[in-house]
Amino acid sequence: MSNILTVLIFFPLVAGLFGFLVSQKSIRVYGIAVAAAEFLLSLWLWFSFDMKNAGMQFVEKINIIPEFGISYYLGVDGISLFLVVMTTFMTLIGIIGLSIKKDIKNMIITLLFLEVAMVGVFVALDVILFYIFWEFSLVPMLYIIGAWGGEKRLYAAIKFFIYTFAGSLVMLVGILYLAHLYQSTTGEWSFALTDWYKLQMDLDVQKWLFWAFFLGFAIKVPMFPFHTWLPYAHGQAPTVGSVILAAVLLKMGTYGFVRFSLPLFPDASVSAILPIAILAIIMIIYTAMVAFAQKDIKQVIAYSSISHMGVIVLGTFAMNVEGIAGSIFLMLSHGIVSGALFLLVGVIYDRKHTKLMDEFGGLAKVMPTYATIFGIMTMASVGLPLTIGFIGEYLSLAGFYKVSPIMTILAGTSIILGAVYMLAVLKKTFFGPITKEENKSLKDLNAKELTALVPLVAIVVWLGVYPKPVLAPIDTSTKALVELMHQKAQTKEAKATILVSKTKEAK
Amino acid sequence: MEKLLYIALFAPLVSSLFAAIFAQRKKMQLVGIVASLLIIISFLASSALLSHLLSGGAVVTANLMDWIVVGDMDVKFGFMVDQVTAVMMVVVTLVSAVVHVYSNYYMEHDEGFNRFFSYLSAFVFSMLVLVMSDNFLGLFIGWEGVGVCSWLLVGFWYYKPDQPREVNPSISPSWAANEAFIMNRIADLGLLVGIFILYWNLGTLTYSEVFANLDKLSGGLMVAAAIALFIGAMGKSAQFPLHTWLADAMEGPTPVSALIHAATMVTAGVYLVIRANPLYSQVPDVGYFIAVLGTFVAIFAASMALVNRDLKRIIAYSTLSQLGYMFAAAGLGAYWVALFHLAAHAFFKALLFLGAGNVMHAMDDELDIFKMGGLKKVMAKTYLYMGVASLALAGIWPFAGFYSKDTILEVAFNEHTYGIWFVLWLTAGLTAFYSFRQVFLVFEGDERYKKYGFHPHEAPNWVFIALLPLLVLAIVFGWWKEEFMEFVTLILPPYEMSEETHHVAWILILLTSAIAIGGIVLAYIKYANGLKRDPKIENSFIYKLLQNQYYIPVFYDKAIVKPYAELSDIAWKEIDLEMIDATVDGIAKAIEVTGDKSREIQNGNLSTYLRWMVAGFIIITILAVVSVVIK
Repeated sequence: MSNILTVLIFFPLVAGLFGFLVSQKSIRVYGIAVAAAEFLLSLWLWFSFDMKNAGMQFVEKINIIPEFGISYYLGVDGISLFLVVMTTFMTLIGIIGLSIKKDIKNMIITLLFLEVAMVGVFVALDVILFYIFWEFSLVPMLYIIGAWGGEKRLYAAIKFFIYTFAGSLVMLVGILYLAHLYQSTTGEWSFALTDWYKLQMDLDVQKWLFWAFFLGFAIKVPMFPFHTWLPYAHGQAPTVGSVILAAVLLKMGTYGFVRFSLPLFPDASVSAILPIAILAIIMIIYTAMVAFAQKDIKQVIAYSSISHMGVIVLGTFAMNVEGIAGSIFLMLSHGIVSGALFLLVGVIYDRKHTKLMDEFGGLAKVMPTYATIFGIMTMASVGLPLTIGFIGEYLSLAGFYKVSPIMTILAGTSIILGAVYMLAVLKKTFFGPITKEENKSLKDLNAKELTALVPLVAIVVWLGVYPKPVLAPIDTSTKALVELMHQKAQTKEAKATILVSKTKEAK
Repeated sequence: MEKLLYIALFAPLVSSLFAAIFAQRKKMQLVGIVASLLIIISFLASSALLSHLLSGGAVVTANLMDWIVVGDMDVKFGFMVDQVTAVMMVVVTLVSAVVHVYSNYYMEHDEGFNRFFSYLSAFVFSMLVLVMSDNFLGLFIGWEGVGVCSWLLVGFWYYKPDQPREVNPSISPSWAANEAFIMNRIADLGLLVGIFILYWNLGTLTYSEVFANLDKLSGGLMVAAAIALFIGAMGKSAQFPLHTWLADAMEGPTPVSALIHAATMVTAGVYLVIRANPLYSQVPDVGYFIAVLGTFVAIFAASMALVNRDLKRIIAYSTLSQLGYMFAAAGLGAYWVALFHLAAHAFFKALLFLGAGNVMHAMDDELDIFKMGGLKKVMAKTYLYMGVASLALAGIWPFAGFYSKDTILEVAFNEHTYGIWFVLWLTAGLTAFYSFRQVFLVFEGDERYKKYGFHPHEAPNWVFIALLPLLVLAIVFGWWKEEFMEFVTLILPPYEMSEETHHVAWILILLTSAIAIGGIVLAYIKYANGLKRDPKIENSFIYKLLQNQYYIPVFYDKAIVKPYAELSDIAWKEIDLEMIDATVDGIAKAIEVTGDKSREIQNGNLSTYLRWMVAGFIIITILAVVSVVIK
């Protein structure tokens, strides 16, 4: 299967279209079957992936508009591979855990379309194609929040859409300028990212372009101070919307940094370390505090996402293999863990139609399995070693330590403040006496919820103990990425900061 | 040998998982038995490893698999059993085995019986990972693992409600558990930073490689690394100012207090300093700081124990105080002495706590020693056990504590740090006093408990048999001081007393014994014949100060916890909603309003269009004129 990537992108699309023909009754099974098939395909991709090869694999390239160098150009490497696998996996988990009764058919079809966009973003190597998938992903999410959301769903959905769209437009300007630059330098048009990698740019141009792309990515991440759309989106979105949003959509922003900003503009990236690190540290500390102030469990998780994304951004801008590979691993682990946490919040919301911590207390007694899984995910979220959460966080911080010890210590408060707000959630929700009579009869997890959650628990432990199958390809491709950046870097400062290997440097 | 290592390490994990299967079921005696047996197996394997090393065997190492391999970072699950590790393993598994067996008695009526054993065994596993790892990140796994198990076990009775601090100084089990976890995390950041320093400067985290290459570190970095690692140690070993969690951790079931918060986990910080002795030997200033801080904590904690009425808190403060002794020894470079006191303390302190468990069981979980008294009639055996443990703690010849504590005092004298010596000497007296104040208030004097309607009963005989190993070791462990020293100094630096110290050693011993016996006698006079309370003393400023732990918990509440919560609230409501989000909405609104207003330009009315045209013409003309003038 040399065109596995095309299959991965278009299978959900076709299946989604056929979904319109499926009856309301059997759509659930249909959705799970399609998502499972898609997940298996992505597993196949993983298993046939050459772990030693750092470059792009399963490459497909068809010229669409040769006059402008626009092509249908796909490929994966160690950096994007697991984002694809996580996307298909979390979509499957999301559909399994779906508790919506209203319009379930539309929901499943929307999710499949969303999957198309998400997979597309991670495998597209043509920038126009990337941009199309990038923008296209907004539409299904807009619909999910707007149609199935809470009371203020329209406000939240439109805010989400317009805010991220505005950022993307600035990025589009950057894309077009870069294409023009490529044409004027080399004499031909190309939107192929791999071609652009070879382009050497003046420092000034790099800076302008860097910040143009930055705006698009930063709003998506979302980085402070562009983050305020996220709490609304999470607050109003149905459970599955939040799961996908936190697990996958936010990662598109940080993926953008790794795939575009770093290799295209290495010098500008290095000179942007300071402002970006400051923003990242504010994200980590400030949003952790805001998370602590929340009364709604879901809002705590929403703000905690921002805080964790801060660590990812920091790791990305560490400019060494440890930090970048760590941040990529953290994207995956945060996807799994925050997805699981949103699912868990959904469980309690389905039962009581509230997410306020004051309404609960003592739940560990009536819902022991639920409490156990929530506890495990909490520990993964605060980065306990031997859970998936530790490795990425540790590597990101370790990587950035090379850049600035002081800033790393500030960012490292994440391991303290994360424990502060997550343990507060546990205490208020699960511990203490049961204060409300109606909570005494709450049911523990049912079979459907367990089916969605147990695989996540398994992954949290498995990749925490044995991350090698995932970490090794990430490491290989990250090394190649850093080498490329090192090679391209023009300023002395950038050469010194972009660290391929410290043993090499010593020689 | 590698097999033994894995058996010792993984038997507790199997035990934990086995118990976890039944965690939500009703009590199953089988779970308790299987768990205890598996821990005993782990103890036997550890002992076999120890005897292997004792008979001159080589250090046992094992590599399980890769863990984190990225960039230049190559961390494996590597384990190593050398002399220090073997001692730690035997101490940990022995106390764990006793505590597991004892828990079959102590938790027999608890509905969380199976869950308890799952957590307890998980703790043993984590603790073994901590001491057996051959690298700093492996140590960190165990470090965090014991933290989580401690969190689970302190909060074991999670359903208890919060109470005001005046009623219960630790508020509630879940509160105390969170406090312990968070405070440890603060320290863990220090440990992580230490790891980063070592990694980026030496390129490895394996002990042997790190210590072999220490000369590559500049002096400043060495100090930084030593301090960072010690900050980690301060959290786990509850050194000032991160000490408040330990007393509050007494909310956990008593076997937990015995195992985790006395014998093993809290000594992890001391273990870290002992393990990193090549580093600390290079930075004597940091070592001196550690010794001073340890000495301060020794007397600071002892002073709080003087007036406390809570059976478990008194022992907790004494643990804190003894940890101070260990750090004093380690800081002064006498690593093997620190390890010796660590082991001795583990035995007698676990014994003391488990004895206290018997008392609590007899008294329906009452903790106020003012409500006890005269229990020796019904609990003679417990009296004996706790008495021996207290004698060892007080440092009376020939009990274990005499040898270990005395050596620490000798070290302080030998280093010419007479200030440290004096404070530790004084603390020895305080220790004897508060220990026997407790013993006498509980077992001697009038039977005050009758007034409160308690019907105490002695624990079954098999419990005392289970505790026997600790009892014996609390007595005889000190007798092996020379053998112990020879064994562990195979890898730890030897510590030689000067000629001068040798000459005055017997005077020092006499002085220490005198103050210790003096403390016991004073306690006997004051408390053995019943409780006579003096309101004048109890209302005095110092008494109140000690009773309220120098008001430090209240201070933390007011100076850190509350402001953090308030600041968080401000960050959310005032900054996030009112400023940042309002700006975003403001921009959107501005665009909308501008659009709305500018719609009027195109309202189809010709005269409006004309007016706008004139306005535009005027503006352009003005601009043109201005630009010409400027040029």
